[in-house]
Amino acid sequence: MTITPTLDGVDQEISRGKRIKGSGPPANGPRRRGWIAYIFIAPAVIYLAVFVLAALAKGIALSFTDTRLLNPSGGNFVGADNYKGLITSSQFWDSIAVTLVYTVATVFFALIIGTAAAVLVNRPFRGRALFRAIMTLPYAVPTVAVTLIFIWIYNKESGVLNMGVEALGFGQVGWLTDPSFGMISVVLTTVWKVFPFVMIVMLAALQSVPDELFEATRVDGADGLSAFRAIVLPHILPTVRIVALLMTIWSIRRFEIIYLLTGGGPVKTTNTLVINIYNSAFTGQKLGVAAAMGVLGLFLSLGAAVIFSFLERRGAKKEGVA
Amino acid sequence: MRSKHPVRESLIFLACVLFAIFAAFPIYWMINTALSTDQELYTGQSLWPHLERVLDIPAFLSGSPAFAWLGNSAFIAFGTTFLSLIMAVHGAYALSRFKFFGKGAVGFLLFATQMLPEAVIVVPLFAVFAGFGLLNNLYGLVLATTGFIMPVALFILKGAIDKVPFELEESARVDGCPRYSQLMMIIFPLILPSIAAAAVIAFFDGWNEFLFANTFISDANHWPATVGLASFIGQYSTPLNVVMAVAFLFTLPAIVFFLILQREIVSGLTAGAVKG
Repeated sequence: MTITPTLDGVDQEISRGKRIKGSGPPANGPRRRGWIAYIFIAPAVIYLAVFVLAALAKGIALSFTDTRLLNPSGGNFVGADNYKGLITSSQFWDSIAVTLVYTVATVFFALIIGTAAAVLVNRPFRGRALFRAIMTLPYAVPTVAVTLIFIWIYNKESGVLNMGVEALGFGQVGWLTDPSFGMISVVLTTVWKVFPFVMIVMLAALQSVPDELFEATRVDGADGLSAFRAIVLPHILPTVRIVALLMTIWSIRRFEIIYLLTGGGPVKTTNTLVINIYNSAFTGQKLGVAAAMGVLGLFLSLGAAVIFSFLERRGAKKEGVA
Repeated sequence: MRSKHPVRESLIFLACVLFAIFAAFPIYWMINTALSTDQELYTGQSLWPHLERVLDIPAFLSGSPAFAWLGNSAFIAFGTTFLSLIMAVHGAYALSRFKFFGKGAVGFLLFATQMLPEAVIVVPLFAVFAGFGLLNNLYGLVLATTGFIMPVALFILKGAIDKVPFELEESARVDGCPRYSQLMMIIFPLILPSIAAAAVIAFFDGWNEFLFANTFISDANHWPATVGLASFIGQYSTPLNVVMAVAFLFTLPAIVFFLILQREIVSGLTAGAVKG
């Protein structure tokens, strides 16, 4: 899984619509026109055209065929059959629903925990650097190692989580085998892995909030949380929106954690769209159907981007920034 | 700031401790497990690690393929970093310094890559790679991984070049410095921290890569550590402490890298996400 960081300028440019036409930062003086720019940008563009666009085109072509895994270059044209099959398949819609639940839960909890952690270590105190370093550690742990650790923590008979649960007087929980707990376990692992990213970015946003505003939240008798909501939150809201967009896109894309923890189970309760695509292609061996699912899945990411760009615009209007 | 409310301050400190435990516990537990015997693991794992066994780890790793896997991972990570940065530096320069026809389309292409799930691309890419003999090949993995991380590196570097004053190149140009030298001699040294950030982020991506490797590489000799580690899941012939020791060995370089370059990574991560 890529721990891809920010989309940097571009998502801002896209969401603001017009800036993408290259009205560069004025501080940099004039921009030059010139064919030489094409030479500099060509390797990146050609590369993406070959490895991403061509693959995408190939995927769209595959989606209209009955290609099987064992003969990836064969396969006959079957028209829209794959799409018809998917739209009437309840398993496909279930996996869309699972993706939505997973995405909303992950983004929600990662934002809350990551922001709370950022607020906590934003105030100066002794040992703050150490706490910051410890809290960002999960970001650096490779995802596959993360899943191995959590599989052992979640182990039903000997895992430390059930040791704790039993000490509290409850019975053993099948964290990865009980259909009521599979999603919870997957979300918890994901949140552990990604909350440091939220924390790092929110910390940077909080540092741009003037000190006096924080002072205001510390006035005697003021309820800390409501003061935070009224005074600090509006300042960091634009950052929250961008982080939420990134987290949403990554949640829709996320593969390793779910694939290795549950493989989509138990009883398909964590069978997100990308897991469904992968299993259809490489277990079910139906490349054509999997490709069609991928094409339909693109609309999910696109929908998320459209919703956020709408929120962004509305928010910008409200704040009078536009 | 002096603490004015001792009770409140200690509650906040307690909350910090709880968050730190939440973040650190799984990592601690990986180390603890690596230092336990199978017997102990299934009869009640000690909460306190058997640190005296650290020296035994090299001995029980000696027969495992872990080091070959780590070597493959390093190859993929370095290859991805190198290839991504070469394209990203030049592309970022073009996007930051020039106006040209089709620039909007280029920006959209780079952005669109970020929205695309790898699991969507892996199916057709498998069909394409099968045709070119790039399956079971570490170079193929570098090529596939680079497609997804290079745009990220490019955006980080574009943000960095945007901040370099244009006048520096202008005066060099007047002195007759060719354009390519302007990029390499003037801009490159000034954006070195961002290049470091982009390099580490690309390296992490290659080091972590699992999906393409798991799909394209069937020959166990070419497995990176991610696929090798995943192969332990559900098989019981490898003792769990060995599994965790390999996982830790795989995690260690990432954590060390991260702690050393934390400042650069954080600035890379936050460059675009924070406004104002």
